[in-house]
Amino acid sequence: MGEWKPNPAVKPHKKRSWYLAWKYKLMNQRALRKLCQTGAVLFLLVTVIVNIKLILDTRRAAYEEEEEAAQDYDDEMLNVEVPRHPVNNKKVLDVEVYSSRSKVYVAVDGTTVLEDEAREQGRGIHVIILNQATGHVMAKRVFDTYSPHEDEAMVLFLNMVARGRILIFTIKDEGSFHLKETAKNVLKSLGSQVAPFLSWRDMWTFVGKKGGEVYGEKHAKSPALSTWGDPVLLKTEVHLTSVEDAECHWPDTELNRRRKRFCSKVEGYGSVCSCKDPTPIEFNPDPLKDNKVFDVPVAVIAGNRPNYLYRMLRSLLSAQGVNPQMITVFIDGYYEEPMDVVELFGLSGIQHTPISIKNARVSQHYKASLTATFNLFPDAKFAVVLEEDLDISVDFFSFLSQSIHLLEEDESLYCISAWNDQGYEHTAEDPSLLYRVETMPGLGWVLRKSLYKDELEPKWPTPEKLWDWDMWMRMPEQRKGRECIIPDISRSYHFGIVGLNMNGYFHEAYFKKHKFNTVPNVQLKNVESLRKDNYETEIHRLLGEAEVLDHGKNPCEDSFVPDTEGRVYVMFIRMEQEADFTTWTQLAKCLHIWDLDVRGNHKGLWRLFRKKNHFLVVGVPASPYSSKKPSSVTPIYMEPPAKEEGAVAVPAVAAAEQT
Amino acid sequence: MQKINRNVVLALLSLTSLVFLLFQLCYYKFYLSQKNGAAFSKVRGSQSGQDSTRWHVVRKFLGLISSHNIPVYLIDPLILGLVDKDIEQIRSSPDGPSPECKYFCAPRDFTTFALLDKTWKHEVGLFRTAEKMGFQWLKIINKDPRLDGMDDLSGMEIPLHYIFKLASHAIHLVVFYERSGHFLWHGPLRLKQHMDRKFVPFRKLHFGRYPGAYEKPELLLVSIDDLKVQIPKNPSSFLEEMSHSRFLECRYREARAFFQLYPDDASLDAVEFRKKAKSLLHLAALTLNNLGVKFWLSSGTCLGWYRQCNVIPHSKDVDLGIFIRDYKADIIPAFQKAGLPLKHKFGKVEDSLELSFQGEDDVKLDIFFFYEEDDHIWNGGTQAKSGKKFKYLFPKFTLCWTEFVELKVHVPCETLQYVEANYGPEWKVPVKTWDWKSSPSNVQDNGIWPIDEWDNVIQIY
Repeated sequence: MGEWKPNPAVKPHKKRSWYLAWKYKLMNQRALRKLCQTGAVLFLLVTVIVNIKLILDTRRAAYEEEEEAAQDYDDEMLNVEVPRHPVNNKKVLDVEVYSSRSKVYVAVDGTTVLEDEAREQGRGIHVIILNQATGHVMAKRVFDTYSPHEDEAMVLFLNMVARGRILIFTIKDEGSFHLKETAKNVLKSLGSQVAPFLSWRDMWTFVGKKGGEVYGEKHAKSPALSTWGDPVLLKTEVHLTSVEDAECHWPDTELNRRRKRFCSKVEGYGSVCSCKDPTPIEFNPDPLKDNKVFDVPVAVIAGNRPNYLYRMLRSLLSAQGVNPQMITVFIDGYYEEPMDVVELFGLSGIQHTPISIKNARVSQHYKASLTATFNLFPDAKFAVVLEEDLDISVDFFSFLSQSIHLLEEDESLYCISAWNDQGYEHTAEDPSLLYRVETMPGLGWVLRKSLYKDELEPKWPTPEKLWDWDMWMRMPEQRKGRECIIPDISRSYHFGIVGLNMNGYFHEAYFKKHKFNTVPNVQLKNVESLRKDNYETEIHRLLGEAEVLDHGKNPCEDSFVPDTEGRVYVMFIRMEQEADFTTWTQLAKCLHIWDLDVRGNHKGLWRLFRKKNHFLVVGVPASPYSSKKPSSVTPIYMEPPAKEEGAVAVPAVAAAEQT
Repeated sequence: MQKINRNVVLALLSLTSLVFLLFQLCYYKFYLSQKNGAAFSKVRGSQSGQDSTRWHVVRKFLGLISSHNIPVYLIDPLILGLVDKDIEQIRSSPDGPSPECKYFCAPRDFTTFALLDKTWKHEVGLFRTAEKMGFQWLKIINKDPRLDGMDDLSGMEIPLHYIFKLASHAIHLVVFYERSGHFLWHGPLRLKQHMDRKFVPFRKLHFGRYPGAYEKPELLLVSIDDLKVQIPKNPSSFLEEMSHSRFLECRYREARAFFQLYPDDASLDAVEFRKKAKSLLHLAALTLNNLGVKFWLSSGTCLGWYRQCNVIPHSKDVDLGIFIRDYKADIIPAFQKAGLPLKHKFGKVEDSLELSFQGEDDVKLDIFFFYEEDDHIWNGGTQAKSGKKFKYLFPKFTLCWTEFVELKVHVPCETLQYVEANYGPEWKVPVKTWDWKSSPSNVQDNGIWPIDEWDNVIQIY
């Protein structure tokens, strides 16, 4: 501080301004000056400290905020959404189409959208539909027009496609053998010059707009019956239109937005996408009074058959008492089109990564779907299980609402099913009648949560076991002698023709003629009589009033049952022990009902209708009802057929009806 | 000359410092106000205007949701806290007009409501109406945890939170989902990359930092500040529940990885044991919950949850932990009444208490009582034949909810430390032979019981 001593040798200035005067004064007032200086230093120190503190505060606040926002509220995963299709502002698409004996492919703007060079597969006409505004693939089909009736399916499909869409055709191997005049005319009307003259083993490619211009066509004639035409490659350009032109102008509602999204992505669903009077996608069926199944979740098990799913969901959503909020569609695989269908109807869908192969894949999909259903609806005591290839009866929920209390109260029940395995057009009659059966029909059924959680889920077949889930559920270890309730007339209809265990022949033989209830609000008869003990009383009553048929006649003959209506008849067949179904199988065969394994039995008794009469079949002596047989009657025995025929039937048993 | 310079330098320095200080102050103020969102700056002068804005926003929101028939209820901790003070009066006069705006005008940034997912269909119409009314809204979606435990299912993402903003106030709508353990769950609030981080001051939200688990509340329709609104019937117990609501999801992905390494035991014995263990745990939970005793999954059961999201099939018993301060003398009779006879009782309430009950077919229920010290928590063990005492030490932990075998139960939030203390760093490797006296990595010898106490501290039935 010594330096700051006042200097006595200060030179007086000539001009003594007020400042200098003040300064001089200050210099003379030592104490005051010293105070000022100290004050200034202190002030400096304080500001420096405050400044540092402020800087630190601000930094800390900023850091904290970043930290918290980052740690607490940021999604840990970077959900960078990559657009599935790059935005394409191009107005022209380059299309390449190739047709040959062993390979076809279609490339749009360099992206292969179809490639098929598998052997022994994909024969016929391949059709691809592109959106005329975006160039997206909306449908892909192959029609094996070498085989009969496929051309009809193609005509049906082409008629459903909206005007303005871009159609691409290419033939693999052979596509003309069963291509009839009608189909050729349709192709001609699309602008094809060659189609009317397509013949044996010709190669052909065609690109055109429905109801508009032709972008290109190439054709190679087969020189001889034994050889194929040369491969053809068509390269052409397609001009895109604006999005507005490619869309219909429906009123702007929530429903139509869904419709618009759907119709701009996929093709082949007919009138749901027509601009004029499109078919509704909301159905608002009548609610059910006192609906006991309103809160029961509905699991729809689906694969990649979007057209089936579409048909199925339409019928489901039209059933009285349906609650769309309880429906979940489980799709086995990451397929887009089934999901589009689910979204069209405003339902929720869940995709499942396929595990294992064939039957085991279906089985694992079932398990995942059932577990998920009970997770999503933890309060549910039951779940309705449906498949994508079923039509659902208008009174499906009414049927369940009237019977579900039995499943809750009667421990001896395994399920309620909407399907009667033996309910064909000629063997089912009474929509208000229910049965108890020892088999598990599936195809639209109700599962009790406790059964699933306590018994089935823990020991469900593992992925490496190639079992059918339904066969497994029918095994005595699982079923434990419990029974299912079924209606006489089924409340579901199995329309699937393509499937894992399904083909056209099989469907025609066993499913096509199945009876399906179309009457709404059927009041079920005497539901209480379906309880375990009541049912025995009921059966004894029935057998008591039944007339014994003439066992001298051939039971396969129509005349076996008299030409009456509304009577109860009984016949007795030979059944040595519980598992002896020799005669029953033969009888089922000649009655044209399910004969691939035993279905629909209850303690050696089968119930069905013949000529509108209730027709009971009792297996003697295995059935406890054998006592009702008059001693004069000899049970009918039917020989199994010769070996060859038997050998045909056996593998079919494994291919039970499940998709 | 030198002297003048010194003075000038000093003055200049002071000036700069002053300017810098002013600048800092301005910046600080600006920064703070920006951080709170421009719309949320607290201007003291317009306090009354702010108050009524909050009320108006809440009223508009209630109008919006009632026009769409969406049943929401109030879960805002601030308002419920205020309501709780006057709950008797509010209950007794459900329709009375209120003289002043007491609750909905209270200063805050948000008003929080709850919505039960299953009570509404996710209609887009709501948001269009909201926009017409002037609301800006934000929807936070994420994976559905109810499908998380499932192999390879990918459902649609579900909405977890909605925020509706109008003027200077925002409504936080928390979506509650019902879970298999028959409780309500709400998800965490996580912002995705593209979302507006400044939409509202997210860190001031009362819900969303963690997922939470709640009982289904009973609701009461009341009129407060002339607005009709549903509130939990007992606000104080709701607030209490809220403070301990943090929920931990099971680590399904890790569990799947575990089963890849060590395939699950699917034998009939394992299936049977799991079934029994599950029903025993359900019974124990019911009994203890009825008594109001807080418990958590301990030892092997906790390891099973943490490692494989399931009961370990070779564990042979069910283990629970209870803080000794929650001990009640009724526990033993309550279990006996529930059909679980006492198998043994070791230790005493003051030291190393442990109860064991006999469940169905050899499945045992072990209850360990935990003693809290300043820096650790421990429970005791007793060897019956020698009277030796053991001590198992754990780092301090708090309790979180989780879902296990369709049950809402507690586990230590710091599960990893808990499991590691008990089973060591190798806890991920299944061990079939386990000696409770030597295998745990946190076991300590703790002397021996005096002979004269044996009758009391070693009781075997």
